[in-house]
Amino acid sequence: MKIKKNGEIRTAYFYISPLLTIILLFILIPIVGTFINSLYRDITYLPSRFTGFTNYADLIKLSDFWNSLKFTTLFTAVSVSLETVLGISFALLLKEVFTGRSFLRTILLIPWAIPTAISARLWQLMYNYNYGLLNYFLDVTHTGAKVNWLGTAHGAFWAITIADVWKTTPFMTLILLAGLQTIPDELYEQAMVDNATMWKRFLYITLPLLRPALVVALIFRTADALRIFDLVYVLTGGGPAGSTRTVSILGFHYFINGDFGTGSAVSIIIFLLVFIFSFLYIRAWRFKETL
Amino acid sequence: MRILYPFILSLLSFITSCSRPRELTFMVGGSPNELLYWEKVIGEFHEKTGINVKLIRQPTDTDQRRQGIVIALRSKSRDPDVFLMDVVWVGAIASSGWLEPLDSYIERDNLDLNKFFSRVVDEVDRYRGNVMALPVYVDGGLLYYRKDLLRKYGYTNPPETWEELLQIAKKVQARERQKNKNFWGFVWQGAMYEGLICTFLEFSSSFGGGIATDSTGRIVVNIPQNVEALQFMQDLIHTYKISPPNTYTELKEEEVRLIFDEGNALLERNWPYAWGLHEKNPELKNKVGITKLPHKKGKRSASTLGGWHIGISRFSDVKNEAWEFVKFVTSYEKQRDFALNLGWNPGRVDVYADTVIEKTAPHLVLLKDVFENAVARPSLPYYSGVSQILQKHLNSALSLSETPQEALEKAQDEIDEFIKKYED
Amino acid sequence: MKEVYVKKILIVVGTIFFTLFVLAPVIWMLFVSLTKDLGFLQGGGVNLTLSNYVNIISNKNLHMLDYLKNSIIISTTVSFLVIIIAGFGAYAITRFNFPGKFTIPLMMLAISIFPQISIAGYLFKIESNLRLINTYPALIFPYTAWTAPLALWILISYFSQIPRELDEAALVDGASRKNILLKIIFPLSTPGLISAFLIVFIACINELLFALLLTTDYRAQTISVGITLFQGLHGEIPWGELMASASLVTVPLIILTLFLQKYIISGLTRGGVKG
Repeated sequence: MKIKKNGEIRTAYFYISPLLTIILLFILIPIVGTFINSLYRDITYLPSRFTGFTNYADLIKLSDFWNSLKFTTLFTAVSVSLETVLGISFALLLKEVFTGRSFLRTILLIPWAIPTAISARLWQLMYNYNYGLLNYFLDVTHTGAKVNWLGTAHGAFWAITIADVWKTTPFMTLILLAGLQTIPDELYEQAMVDNATMWKRFLYITLPLLRPALVVALIFRTADALRIFDLVYVLTGGGPAGSTRTVSILGFHYFINGDFGTGSAVSIIIFLLVFIFSFLYIRAWRFKETL
Repeated sequence: MRILYPFILSLLSFITSCSRPRELTFMVGGSPNELLYWEKVIGEFHEKTGINVKLIRQPTDTDQRRQGIVIALRSKSRDPDVFLMDVVWVGAIASSGWLEPLDSYIERDNLDLNKFFSRVVDEVDRYRGNVMALPVYVDGGLLYYRKDLLRKYGYTNPPETWEELLQIAKKVQARERQKNKNFWGFVWQGAMYEGLICTFLEFSSSFGGGIATDSTGRIVVNIPQNVEALQFMQDLIHTYKISPPNTYTELKEEEVRLIFDEGNALLERNWPYAWGLHEKNPELKNKVGITKLPHKKGKRSASTLGGWHIGISRFSDVKNEAWEFVKFVTSYEKQRDFALNLGWNPGRVDVYADTVIEKTAPHLVLLKDVFENAVARPSLPYYSGVSQILQKHLNSALSLSETPQEALEKAQDEIDEFIKKYED
Repeated sequence: MKEVYVKKILIVVGTIFFTLFVLAPVIWMLFVSLTKDLGFLQGGGVNLTLSNYVNIISNKNLHMLDYLKNSIIISTTVSFLVIIIAGFGAYAITRFNFPGKFTIPLMMLAISIFPQISIAGYLFKIESNLRLINTYPALIFPYTAWTAPLALWILISYFSQIPRELDEAALVDGASRKNILLKIIFPLSTPGLISAFLIVFIACINELLFALLLTTDYRAQTISVGITLFQGLHGEIPWGELMASASLVTVPLIILTLFLQKYIISGLTRGGVKG
């Protein structure tokens, strides 16, 4: 079937070239450009100067930078864990056959469809100290005092996490549901015959066979959480007192303040961070696979 | 065939966006009533000169206004042509080379610079000797007070010292709280934004401190008077409890004004713009007084120099029209109108002697003196970076995450470190 | 026996929680959009009104309609462009053998997790120099590059299910490669195309970082930026009006999603699981 091999390759490149071109121009070149930029002192009102890795060295000395990293990784860990637990739960729920299931499946996508900026402002309203829904319930049902959600570092952390979990659980659920559907029913039936409890079945059949889908979902979600910008920018702007400044927001601040050099350095660090995590995930997966 | 559609679409959008008609674009933000007034001004300008101005509306938040202008200017965009800048950005924007020098226009049209506050023009608008912007209005922090409430509790005058303020506010708050749970003695801006620096500058200067640049160009914030002032600010919220707990999380200009406007505060620290709005409020008419901010006993009252200036983008394609607009906005008539309608203090000194002003807004005359002696924040190209470091630590102290001592020490260290990068 | 009960309870509890979780915020948004002020939470009465919607649409200086228009134009253009570009690419990958056949999709996968901030800075510089800032192309080009990888994976998954024998047969009949793509592959994979289109469309409306940095005013800013910066007409944050503008965008999107969810779900899961 391989008629005219050379012509084939040329045609293939013809078809793939628009994609490669646009990726090259608007993603690859900017990334390389950012890296090169990070090696310069590039501040609006000063002459540009090659400074090597000084920007990075300066960043490492900054407590702001480490706080940013700490916050970002902590947020990622908590948020992704919550999403995963919820995602698995919802996926299990949606796998069962019962009336109302199609209704649930239908509304599942709603948080995903709402633009992040909009859902952020919605949550901003719900977290408002005076007019927020959450504080209203806490007050009215006397379950607790009003929480200053967006005004304290602690409150803001949870505020952002809850809003993020709300937005991204649907995606998690979908991927995991698809993964669940690849598990053959016979395995469960066999286990039930052997009198395995629901919990045991979950632990020894569901989880192991869900692993491939889990890993995929985890890689995407972790990468997304590490580079999060939209939600945090709108909800807290990095406040209060810079306590919720994720690394992306840190980079953004440098850009707005005219310091493109340091901003680029932060950007490259985020880039490396995301890739290191992904790489670690994949390695962990490879090991498990061979088992 | 189907392939062509999207290409045509994108080509079209490209074309239509490239061939924008030449029009004068004016970028400005501000409180809602200010923006409504600008629409009127633009209409009047159009009637007078026939030039069409497109208003690009910005948010109220100062930082977001700066972000919008900086992104536009940095991208060398042809819009906006003319815009308003906060007094602290003029230095940074001018030194970035984004402003059109105005000297040639001033000379050509014989504009008399002496009609403006000369100190303001020299300290803010000049860069390397050239005039890069002109003041639209001048601002300074003021103390607003409820005349009726003071009288009710037996006080004839508003507090002059912080000690007096403490005493009066505590008493009035305690009594008023019996009827109104939401009543506060003294409300001021403490959220983490530029406004916090203004508030801090006033408190610290009135304690004998301030934010100074020493002879080597170093910015000094860590001095005992500042620590004392910051401690006082912290105590207002947490110890004396005459300022609300969301002072350092949410309170900016409008939030503070609303608390006072709703009758829930005795004293308010705010800019002059609030005056007009309070007077328009039927519940508050004739009950509000303004005066200089208090000071520590033995020291002097301080008011942070604020205000907004108008400048022309160096990349504008309609500079002459932009200059016409600048002249219009800084003209005697318009400056007087801004004063009468928005409560803005004119950047032109001659307006203060106006008879209409003297009759309808007599307080402005009193304040001319305040503004001539207002305290300015450092005019540096990298001011925003310094400001953010200071904001962070000040706010952190207010939220009790750091002690005032720690906050100012850390701020000083970080500022010193930060400035190193900008030395050539 | 007990297990059946436990399961039933879990399902009921799960359903209630699920529904509340997903719908509560949205219902609240709609409710607030119809109120004049939030005083009712502190004991006042509830005033239902449509005035918020009227205000935000009629007030030209709020530019809500401009933002909506920009978003729709940009997102639609990008979605079409991406379908073409990714479609061509997926065609090449599933139909030909060439160096890069396997590495390119993997590279695309890696690219889809690039942090936007890492690209945004330099992109800003490029676009400033090309005088593109605050124009439609300013966002169209980055968005196309940004969403193409995901679309590629979705389309690869769909295209690879179309048997190559169809191609071979058409080739033998003398059809050109281009015609095979347009007249056979595309029609057969319409669900895939719709999937990709929708997912890209929603991703574009969603996007914030590029829009914040690369546009400066209502002539090119998208609805995401508009709502982020919305500070309304009167007083502090006007929640009623803000929620009204949020609803204006959200309700159509939700309706779109609900009706076409079949496509979205299969696109997401195929693009995702295949990875």
